[in-house]
Amino acid sequence: MMNEHPVLSVKELSGGYSLNRPVLHDISFHVQPGEMVGLIGLNGAGKSTTMKHILGLMNPHKGEVTVKGRSRSDDAEGYHGALGFVPESPILYEEMTVREHLEFTARSYGISKENYESRAAALSGMFRMEDKMDSLSSHLSKGMRQKVMIMCAFVARPSLYIIDEPFLGLDPLGIRSLLDFMVEIKQSGASILLSSHILSTIENYCDRFIVLHQGRIVAQGSLESIAQEADTPGQPLEDIFYALTQGGSRK
Amino acid sequence: MNLSELFAKRRGQFWGQVLPYLGYVIQSGVAVVFLFLLIAFSAWYTSLVMNVPPGLPIRWIMLAILVPLAVNSSVRTYLRPADTVFLLPQEPRMDMYFAKRRVSGVVYKLMLLMLVLITLWPLYIRSDDQPKMLLATVLLLAVLKRLSSWGSWREQHIVSRPAAAGLRVLRWCIILLSAASWFWYPVLHSVIFTSLTALAYIAACSVPSRYKVAWERLILLEKRHAARVMMVLSWFVNVPQGEQRVYARKWLSRWGSGIPWNKGSAYRFLLIKSLSRSDVFGILLRVLVLGAVLVWVTRDSLASAAVYLAALMISGLQLSSLRKVHKESFWLMVYPLPEGSRHHNEIKLLFQVQLLWAVLLWLPLLFSIMSDPGFVLGTLAAGLLTVWLFRASAIRSVKKEEAEEDL
Repeated sequence: MMNEHPVLSVKELSGGYSLNRPVLHDISFHVQPGEMVGLIGLNGAGKSTTMKHILGLMNPHKGEVTVKGRSRSDDAEGYHGALGFVPESPILYEEMTVREHLEFTARSYGISKENYESRAAALSGMFRMEDKMDSLSSHLSKGMRQKVMIMCAFVARPSLYIIDEPFLGLDPLGIRSLLDFMVEIKQSGASILLSSHILSTIENYCDRFIVLHQGRIVAQGSLESIAQEADTPGQPLEDIFYALTQGGSRK
Repeated sequence: MNLSELFAKRRGQFWGQVLPYLGYVIQSGVAVVFLFLLIAFSAWYTSLVMNVPPGLPIRWIMLAILVPLAVNSSVRTYLRPADTVFLLPQEPRMDMYFAKRRVSGVVYKLMLLMLVLITLWPLYIRSDDQPKMLLATVLLLAVLKRLSSWGSWREQHIVSRPAAAGLRVLRWCIILLSAASWFWYPVLHSVIFTSLTALAYIAACSVPSRYKVAWERLILLEKRHAARVMMVLSWFVNVPQGEQRVYARKWLSRWGSGIPWNKGSAYRFLLIKSLSRSDVFGILLRVLVLGAVLVWVTRDSLASAAVYLAALMISGLQLSSLRKVHKESFWLMVYPLPEGSRHHNEIKLLFQVQLLWAVLLWLPLLFSIMSDPGFVLGTLAAGLLTVWLFRASAIRSVKKEEAEEDL
């Protein structure tokens, strides 16, 4: 049941790198407060392009994206202030330490110093990064760099998290910590739009799924409802996904 | 695969990227300023050679100018990260690839060293009571330069970084001492000393284990060299910024933590961290120390004002490159920073740092304030005007950028 005020609303979005060859074709979906939604699709399906449009890194050819009812053109600062992003590959400032990344993020989002300090301490413990807090990011392993990205997003505590392939490079304990924390974040009322190829993992955590194929949404809804659409009732997400993407476009 | 051709092709590609910008460099006002400074320096140097002050510490001057040039032995390899996959199978043949780097790594730098030596030579023979022969000095410096190039290349391939750092210090020491022995001691003594230390250094270099090709190290160094070329170009035109070298500088880690805790100052925090750990800050420190020493040495002449203003302009140019560091920064597009805070913080920080440099560089002139207060205070006023002009230029650039963004 759609709430009157979704955190994220994407309406009839078409877009891509070239006006003549859109990657996304009229996609519409929403994410409600306290909801975790999985955005899944094959390589090149349009997941990252969708996220770039939500982040404001790409302008839509058609359609609209709003976060908490605000579009980016209306109120860019408020729009971005409601978003946190974890990219697929860590994007860090080589000249800053882990602690300084968290501090820069907290300052940028207007988080109070007290909240920043308590959150940074909790996150560094949760992701076992206490002894790396004063290391320059250039001295970190890939998995640790990914942890810094996750910690930065979580230190800001926005209303909506856009998380792109968060498990890449993380060790098993890191994956568990992330999943636990995502559940905690969700329970606190924040929303998560999560993209991942590890379907067996996200199957048990996401409330709904959006299946993208060749730039179009071929199914969206709860596990049960997309299983119905794929004619694979009771099957795991991987089988549903296979049926939806290998069986041609369905809506 | 012809590795020699591959090196030449890559070198051509890199300089093919750089050359189109040189036209803009020549056209830019800063290039004219440099030309003016060169002419002013030539006039000042000619006058110095004609009227050499008594007791000029010429041997120390020769040492201070020639040794860094003799030691500096960076080389371009044009290696890329993908080479660890695609060129790795060619490792036994990589000598062919690196053969041409010797030309740029040794010959061009040797030519620069000789040019500086020839420029200094008239001052040297007029100041030193027992000057050495030019040809012999050229030969000695060429040998030291070659030794340093060989040692530097060897250091990059050593497995243990602490051992490589130790050998680097040793290389500096032996070249410094050899050059000093040349200017202070009889030729025969100096030649014996230089030969023995060089042999000892070569022997020391052969001890640590080393890679056939230190792929990761060379790729990292190549990135830094390319970034430096782009950084120099960025003083004049907008160019893509490469990966800059980062220095931990723990003694500066507290800088920035005291700025106001609000969104408007968030970018200032990032900018301070970028400045304090950058190559630029190291250059600024060197300009400050060298400039202050030269201002102090020349404090009783007009040359001190010229040195002061030149050092301040170099500082301003260096600082201006910081404006481009985060131009394409991903997080500045995603984070909710207030509109206009980027440009505002850039202009403010660069102005404050250059203003501080203007005061620090001027301090040595205070020794002359009693004898010539008008000159000392006038120099400070000229410095402050220079800082203000740099700020005005930065504001103009920002307005131009904003107008372009609005289009």
